[in-house]
Amino acid sequence: MRGKVAIVGAGPAGCFVAQSLLKDAPALEIALIDCLPTPYGLIRYGVAPDHQGTKAITRQFSRIFERQGARFFGNVHIGRDLSLDMLRDAYDAVVLAAGLSQDRRLGIAGDDLPGVYGAGSLIRSLQSHPFADPLPALGPNPLIVGNGNVAIDLLRLLSKSPRELAGSDLGAEATAWLAGNGFRSITVLGRSPGAKAKFDPLMIRELANLSRVRISLTDPGQADGDDEQKRIDALAGIDGIGSGPIEVKFCFSRVPLSVEGADHVTGLRVASPQGEKIIEASSIVTAVGFASNGELGASETDGAAGKPGSRLYSAGWFGHGPKGAIPDARLSAQTIAAQVLGELAADNRRIGSAIFENLPDVVDYAGWQRIEAAELLGRNDERCRAKLQSIDAMLQAARSNHAGSGEAGL
Amino acid sequence: MKIAVLYGTETGNAAMLADDIKSALDGDHDVACADLAAIDPAGLDGQDFHVIVCSTYGDGDVPASAKPFMTKLEALAPKLSHVRFAIFGLGDSEYAETFAHGSMKLAEALVAREAVQVGTRLTHNATADELPEDIALPWIRAILADLEDAV
Ligand SMILES: Cc1cc2nc3c(=O)[nH]c(=O)nc-3n(C[C@H](O)[C@H](O)[C@@H](O)COP(=O)(O)OP(=O)(O)OC[C@H]3O[C@@H](n4cnc5c(N)ncnc54)[C@H](O)[C@@H]3O)c2cc1C
Ligand SMILES: Cc1cc2nc3c(=O)[nH]c(=O)nc-3n(C[C@H](O)[C@H](O)[C@H](O)COP(=O)(O)O)c2cc1C
Repeated sequence: MRGKVAIVGAGPAGCFVAQSLLKDAPALEIALIDCLPTPYGLIRYGVAPDHQGTKAITRQFSRIFERQGARFFGNVHIGRDLSLDMLRDAYDAVVLAAGLSQDRRLGIAGDDLPGVYGAGSLIRSLQSHPFADPLPALGPNPLIVGNGNVAIDLLRLLSKSPRELAGSDLGAEATAWLAGNGFRSITVLGRSPGAKAKFDPLMIRELANLSRVRISLTDPGQADGDDEQKRIDALAGIDGIGSGPIEVKFCFSRVPLSVEGADHVTGLRVASPQGEKIIEASSIVTAVGFASNGELGASETDGAAGKPGSRLYSAGWFGHGPKGAIPDARLSAQTIAAQVLGELAADNRRIGSAIFENLPDVVDYAGWQRIEAAELLGRNDERCRAKLQSIDAMLQAARSNHAGSGEAGL
Repeated sequence: MKIAVLYGTETGNAAMLADDIKSALDGDHDVACADLAAIDPAGLDGQDFHVIVCSTYGDGDVPASAKPFMTKLEALAPKLSHVRFAIFGLGDSEYAETFAHGSMKLAEALVAREAVQVGTRLTHNATADELPEDIALPWIRAILADLEDAV
């Protein structure tokens, strides 16, 4: 089958859609577009820097470009550099896989006070994302609101000693920031009882290896069914462990009511099984989900994507909300790819990749390989790569004739 | 030789390795490749040599795509004395206690139904630098060479 498909967002959702499309229709012309000069989205900037095994999935994605013939168009921001309408004119089908980059807010009084940070935003800062805010001062007693895997990732990272971060790709700035934090306590708070929390029990068990914590639990609740029992068992396994300097407190069944403080966070007022309480905190990090930044204006909710005849599709978190991990992205990509192929009608008048020709500083796959080669030059016993952070540094590396990459210059 | 490469996966790494194994053996053998999700253990063909690639999740469990196969294997207990297989495991040493247990459990369940395991189970560690295909291709070639020598 012939035809031209553009995918907006080269994160796991976009990559899996490309992989699936090319598996079934190897002759398709596929463009994976990202606003960053680098591909792989949350694999690079979300999946924790100390979970390199999970990041190794990029070995699969590199084949989409190296063997399956997809092309990468990095540093192209759809909605700014090119409009979505222009893209839809140039391609037979467009798949929106732009993710959800905005942190959902708590939606309670005071949730915009200084000292309230979104987990997504904080993680971008920790992972050297080019558009990240500077790392904030969290103070001695940060409180994390949320009971999903992102909250646990953050707790684990904030608690780790420098030695425990060996082999990760945490950047120099974040490493220095972590070492200088001097946390006395970290509270993790959730609305539901522990038995109904969203995190994977495995993520909880992993906390047992941390050297600097002492962990306690409040109101984990009773299990109903096997899955809940696994969660309760995992929680019971970490309750009371450790004798490190950081007191980690899991508080379940606490509904946030308002953020306390006049000009900066001082605590969180919650409804608990024992009545209303204020939990003191030097800062609050919200890990309660993600939302669209509205940039593309065409999310699943406005109805265009997925409509017969619209030639517009959506995938991943952008398409179905911030639920599901990488395996779900893989499975749903297969369904979306089948739908795209079922409806694809190639029209030779569509110009395809010529649409990128006059844009400045577009980074192709070879450019990304040069960026990666430059990052890998910075590897040592402590770090498996030294990420370039600024767009300028990335563009410079992408343009250089670096000898580090075997593919450079191809 | 007729070879069936079967994989159990969640994020696709095992599927990619299965593809690599198929490509590497294609010239010399008659190779098919499938997700374990599409395979009924009772339907395994004694004419095929089975090469299984399987990752690990959760509590050292088999990955989602291998679960229906594993469940049927345990519930229906088909007799598999005609089935020969070699198995390769994917795992991550970050999960030290359950490293590559998915492939181990799958091998045990097959052997418990009298299937014959050929060669030793080899594993790849996602946290290590080595590429899975660099370990798995020499491994499977050696196993097939031994099999052919034995004929
Ligand atoms: C902090 C965090 C940690 C996680 N850790 C894990 C984990 O360990 N294991 C796991 O299984 N799952 C994990 N997940 C979940 C996983 O990331 C999702 O399941 C993933 O599949 C979502 O991918 P996506 O492709 O939809 O979005 P993204 O990965 O966000 O990809 C979207 C891409 O689109 C680009 N983009 C956005 N807007 C535009 C635009 N206008 N023009 C061009 N490009 C654009 C972005 O730069 C980005 O590269 C984690 C999620 C988060 C937030
Ligand atoms: C949530 C999660 C749990 C995992 N659990 C284990 C485990 O218990 N033991 C292990 O050896 N590997 C474990 N792994 C590592 C995977 O098996 C490894 O990354 C593998 O390459 C994945 O292959 P796949 O893409 O085919 O599923 C886990 C990975 C994730 C993301």
